[in-house]
Amino acid sequence: MVNAQAESLFGYQPEELAGQLVEVLVPDVSRAVHAQHRATYTADPKDRPMGSRIQLSGRRRDGSTFPADISLANIDTDRGILVTAAVRDMTSRQQALEELEQANRNLESFAYSVSHDLRAPLRALSGFSAALLEECADGLGEAGRGYAERIQAASKQMATLIDDLLLLARVARAEINLQDVDLGAEVADIAGELQRGRPDRHVRFTIQQPVWVLADRDLVRTVLQNLLDNAWKFTSGRDDALIDFAAAPAADGRVCCHVRDNGAGFDSAYAAKLFQPFERLHSAREFPGTGIGLASVRQIVERHGGRTWAEGTAGAGATFYFTLRTAETI
Amino acid sequence: MNQRHILLVEDNPDDEALTIRAFAKNNIRNEVVVVRDGAEAIDHLLAIDRGDAPSPILILLDLKLPKVGGLEVLRRIRAGQRTRLIPVVVLTTSVEQEDILAGYNGGANAYVRKPVSFSDFAETVHTIGMFWLLLAEPPPDIILPPGPS
Repeated sequence: MVNAQAESLFGYQPEELAGQLVEVLVPDVSRAVHAQHRATYTADPKDRPMGSRIQLSGRRRDGSTFPADISLANIDTDRGILVTAAVRDMTSRQQALEELEQANRNLESFAYSVSHDLRAPLRALSGFSAALLEECADGLGEAGRGYAERIQAASKQMATLIDDLLLLARVARAEINLQDVDLGAEVADIAGELQRGRPDRHVRFTIQQPVWVLADRDLVRTVLQNLLDNAWKFTSGRDDALIDFAAAPAADGRVCCHVRDNGAGFDSAYAAKLFQPFERLHSAREFPGTGIGLASVRQIVERHGGRTWAEGTAGAGATFYFTLRTAETI
Repeated sequence: MNQRHILLVEDNPDDEALTIRAFAKNNIRNEVVVVRDGAEAIDHLLAIDRGDAPSPILILLDLKLPKVGGLEVLRRIRAGQRTRLIPVVVLTTSVEQEDILAGYNGGANAYVRKPVSFSDFAETVHTIGMFWLLLAEPPPDIILPPGPS
């Protein structure tokens, strides 16, 4: 039995399919194996999507094929088991997927052009404003020198912005190579770098070690780098700065890690905005930044199937949480 | 300091001026010969290979060039009898893994990203100059056997 929609989907006239084996609707190459599968299925029928892991195709009357999604259900009747197959033409979905992949490739080449083409004029802005300051300082006067300095600072800020945007684009398409990573060791390493960069600052780090997770090393390193850079930056006004990294088992079998600081913090009413690109809760005068770091953090953690969130109080520090898998959760 | 010239392969006139300014600021007084696209670079390399032009002490090579790309220029440098040992530093804007890999695969001696800020750029040019002009021993001149003529 076939309904009218099935007839039109497969390109048959009304009644033309009645009495035929279902294999006429299966592409020639899979016909024999389909008959075998059908025999196995009728021996032990269960409702299920058909071949959920493989790409299925239907065969039209003219021999052409189309991508199909097929689900099976069975009804016990007095004449035996009746198996119904619902067939959906996936052509448009397939096309949409291909268009999406093309769009992603376009985005990659766009990110590449951004890297090269936007940086070159910026270097000219920075370079020639520096030349003005060095060679024509007297002629510029105090106001003129101030303007040239602003050009320098703005081009530096834009360079950081471009780099961060590129990072976000790279994170979105990077291949994920899962391996066991000790986050504690990575945190200790980054903390050492931060301290060496600013030996005059006194920051107490407490770092739980080891904290094993199953993740892409480069990408989680980027997560930790961003969170620790932030903690370092937002505690800059404190003499008793404290940065804490620790982990605890989460309810879903993952591990929940946090980076906590006692720095400037944020108003918890804005916690949801923090992870949006370009959203900033502090003025550039207070704390410089591009507003892209936490968006990259969220992107990376979500690509690992984890979650990110934050808690904070204005003037009393912030805690950033993220969950990751461990080798045991698989 | 070795007085042979530096060959700069660079199409962007701003980057050309800034590179020359950075050398001057760092008291690197070697002559800087500039070629402004890939085709011009290859003509210049052919002249060196024929013995019609002197060999530079160092080549600074941008990757994104009009007409013929920097990687092709690098291939031609490494293929030339008289040019194959000349130190080549790729000095470019891209830090795409693919470009870095292609640069080293092509036989670049170093791959350096052009920083945006001029003070960083001047420092980069200074470090490159100090290393290749002062510290590193240049490859000995290649003496070619007399040709069949």
